[in-house]
Amino acid sequence: MKLHRVEILSRQRFGSHALLRYRWREGAPEPGQFVMVRPRVSAQVSDPFLNKPFFAHDYGDGMMSLLFEVRGRGTALLADEDDELAVSEPLGKGFALDDGGLVLLVGGGVWVSPLKLLSRSLSRSGTPHEVYLEIPSVAPEAYRAWISENYPAATLVPTDGSKEASHIVLDSLGDLGRYSGIYASGPDPMLAALRNASVDRVPAQLVLRERMACANGSCYGCAVPVWRDGSRTYARACVEGPVFSAEALAW
Amino acid sequence: MVTHRAANAAVDLAVDLCGIRLRTPLVPAAGTLGKEALAEVAGAYGAILPKTVTPGPRVGNPPPRLAEAPSGMVNSIGLQNPGLEHFLENLGDYYKEGLPLFVSVAADTVGEFATMCERLADVERVAAVELNLSCPNVEHGGLQFCAGPRPVAEVVAACRTAFTEKALFAKLTSEGVVANAVAAEEAGADALTLINTTPALVVDPQERRVLLRGGLSGPAIKPIALRAVYEVSRVVGVPVIGCGGVASGTDVAEFMLAGATAVQVGAGSFVREPREMLEEFVVYLKDAKLSAAELTSALGG
Repeated sequence: MKLHRVEILSRQRFGSHALLRYRWREGAPEPGQFVMVRPRVSAQVSDPFLNKPFFAHDYGDGMMSLLFEVRGRGTALLADEDDELAVSEPLGKGFALDDGGLVLLVGGGVWVSPLKLLSRSLSRSGTPHEVYLEIPSVAPEAYRAWISENYPAATLVPTDGSKEASHIVLDSLGDLGRYSGIYASGPDPMLAALRNASVDRVPAQLVLRERMACANGSCYGCAVPVWRDGSRTYARACVEGPVFSAEALAW
Repeated sequence: MVTHRAANAAVDLAVDLCGIRLRTPLVPAAGTLGKEALAEVAGAYGAILPKTVTPGPRVGNPPPRLAEAPSGMVNSIGLQNPGLEHFLENLGDYYKEGLPLFVSVAADTVGEFATMCERLADVERVAAVELNLSCPNVEHGGLQFCAGPRPVAEVVAACRTAFTEKALFAKLTSEGVVANAVAAEEAGADALTLINTTPALVVDPQERRVLLRGGLSGPAIKPIALRAVYEVSRVVGVPVIGCGGVASGTDVAEFMLAGATAVQVGAGSFVREPREMLEEFVVYLKDAKLSAAELTSALGG
């Protein structure tokens, strides 16, 4: 995997989340694409070993940003890095943007990340859209404030933060029939509920967050169950995703 | 200036593996180079070796299939592949700059292994077959084919009979590797690939469950692989292909010094470019004033 050394322009921490901005002039990411990242300190050493996938959160003026939750040693190293990062180019198949009518964006937890760039792209193309984001009750005030500031038009839906509760967001949506398309990024139970609610009614594109190793289609580690030619098989999130149409998923 | 010229002299990277000329000693390890990534690694490798193929299609294991480990990763993919015939129909995907094509195969029984070899013997583009002997033998209670010298000898001998004209490699795990390697050589293997991933377990302490039961790869297993290459290459007459934790040009040199004729790059290619490793290897050879072929078994002391 080819990685580029990039200069970190800023970093922010709010609660358990981190936002890194770096200089990137090698081509804009599509909404829903991801980049593989490793901290500069481990560029030549083997621990942590694997590069980590993060969604392109936002992009503009040659500046890419990544939003992620600090969960283990690897993400902590990244969040503390203040000089350089090693990053891949944007990878994977992003959202297909339709310029039909009103579209819906739904996100939960750390999965809200790719919706910022998506929202920006939709605004640029003049596509009307509504944004619903889950806000867990346990989220620190700093995170709530940041979400409100960065998604000013979004409807924030409080939940208890459990994966099981994330479908509550759907209850607040009302009739999905008024949307010409749905774009969702959230925990699997939220996406599964959205898939069931939208099937045969509104085309929905779901972006999945998977463990990855090679990120170039070689290792088959990021397996996602899908229907293909009538039988159940596994697609690779890195090259066949990470965005999948809801009806293709064999959940 | 003499020193300047010497520093820029072309380094001879080519090696001969069972009569097959490899322009560099690097070969992708099975399951680590997909057709989507071929362009990315152009130039670094001396041969192409696609993901292990089985007689029929396999869906593979349910996720999770991957976990980070100290200086490595654990995987349990389950040999997801479209099956031999589909693979052969799309063989053109792997035709890259005329590089020799090695095909890794796995099967449930000795008979299936032999049938696959027989089929591949007729495919002109295939230069060699690598037997993945780390899969379960369903006729023997699911023990791996490389569980001991007897099953190794049985499967290699059957494949040798079916595959007479081209090179046959046997890929072994570290456990019992010397006895298994000797058995494979005596049964007719032309080369030995050492080693496959090492059995490993990842436990999730928060959820109190097994996260993953699979194979460990990456720099964590490099010393284990080096020892296997070193010990086996001293007792067999056939070439050894080193594999396990290669992530730099120095690693390549270490495997060749330990006795390898060629070196496979696996998980290391997920985090670094094989091209960078080759460039580092070139620098090493220049400093050592040796060709790649001269490096094999060039240990002092």
